[in-house]
Amino acid sequence: MMCGCFDTHPYDVNVKGGKNINKKHMAEIERDFADKDTLHIAFISDTHLWHSDFRDEIRDINKRRNIDFVIHLGDMTDAGLTKEYEWACDILNGLYVPYLALIGNHDMLGTGKQVYSCMFGAMDFSFIAARVKFISLNTNSTEYDHVVNVPNFSFMEEEFTKDSERFDRTVVMMHAPPYSDQFNNNVVKAFRRYLDYFPGLMCCIHGHGHDNDETEPYNDGLKFYSAACAERRLYRIMTITPDDYDMEEIRY
Amino acid sequence: MTWKRFVISVAFIVTAACAWADTISVVLPIDCKYDNRVQRYRKIWGALIPAQIVVQNAGNMGVVSVGIGWSYGSSSAYEKSVKKNRPWETHLLFGYIPKYESNRGKLTMTLKENYIPLSVYLTHGFSIEPLKASIYMNTVYGHEFWKSQPNRYPDKYYEYLSTKFRLNVALGQEMTWIVPLANRAHVKCLSVFYEFSTCDLYIRAKVLEHSIPLKDIVGMSLGVKVQLL
Repeated sequence: MMCGCFDTHPYDVNVKGGKNINKKHMAEIERDFADKDTLHIAFISDTHLWHSDFRDEIRDINKRRNIDFVIHLGDMTDAGLTKEYEWACDILNGLYVPYLALIGNHDMLGTGKQVYSCMFGAMDFSFIAARVKFISLNTNSTEYDHVVNVPNFSFMEEEFTKDSERFDRTVVMMHAPPYSDQFNNNVVKAFRRYLDYFPGLMCCIHGHGHDNDETEPYNDGLKFYSAACAERRLYRIMTITPDDYDMEEIRY
Repeated sequence: MTWKRFVISVAFIVTAACAWADTISVVLPIDCKYDNRVQRYRKIWGALIPAQIVVQNAGNMGVVSVGIGWSYGSSSAYEKSVKKNRPWETHLLFGYIPKYESNRGKLTMTLKENYIPLSVYLTHGFSIEPLKASIYMNTVYGHEFWKSQPNRYPDKYYEYLSTKFRLNVALGQEMTWIVPLANRAHVKCLSVFYEFSTCDLYIRAKVLEHSIPLKDIVGMSLGVKVQLL
């Protein structure tokens, strides 16, 4: 597939592989898991160029058989190169289940944002499975020098009520958490207020920190879980039951 | 008497002036300092006259690049006898990256240094250059690329990374047709070449992750070089 006989440029955005992956996989997830009452979701993150560990991670997830879908929390590349995206995508395609990917700050470098938009789609997106709405937000504000609407409050506002008859609970996912070097920390508290409008907010899940952490950045009971980088050989499995959830740390 | 003397004086001056004018146009002082300087000045600037026109595809410089080149360095007596180009070359190339899935097409500029140490004469004016080693710096134009991380990032956030400049290396071969003196009008010789190249970020990726196949980071490039001087 990636013969690369004639290489135009590392930032050429000449995407040969899959396009609109998130959209296709979200449709599959919404179709297959609408009526389920329990979900098993694997959260992986920051795979960068640790491809060998990344492959082992995928192998470990495939072995488990009970995983419904996989979320990559961003930073699948080091420098946003078109080929790095294709390498990451090739590895993700080894999964037996649908996967979605968020954009990380490294994925935005050079023409990386354009590659992401082509291969995966919108940077803010949401889907519903087992009556839980999964909100994915682009929080890499530093990459835009904080001059754009990141995080996108208008998108959040729309999502409070959109398809409200189809979900009762919400999980919010992002690459960089509040108070990190990528988040627009001028709006951390406003962001927290907005989160309260999501029906039945369960927790937030993020990457960027390269470690599995469980924190309460606002000290108010709202949990933020992070998934470690591939080099740490750690990831998370979230099990959502009709009235609770469980976060499991997986070492492979 | 006074009038006569005046006429004679004027005639003399005019004659002398004519003779002087004649002298300057005919007799040039050969080892005049000024003349030497002019010759040196023309030689220095003359060395900057492009000796080559180059067209090349791919090579991480764009889908196609066009530019000018200079050749220099000592050639062997043999190379001189077949009017072969010199072993060192500098190319200045401008390339174009099509839009593909991005927002727009992009321009790139490349400064490339080639070393072609050997030339083997075959027959009928054809020669082959079995080794061509190149190193080149490519820059891509566009607001999304930076030379080093902008001020908005914390110190050493994307350390050593430049999204704008790429250092590339290449190895290849060339085949040259030396235009026979009798037929030579504009072109001294014509070369076709191929090279295999890769760039700093791809080498880094390969070093960090050995499982990346070599074919993914090494690309091929084809080109034509017209030697004018």
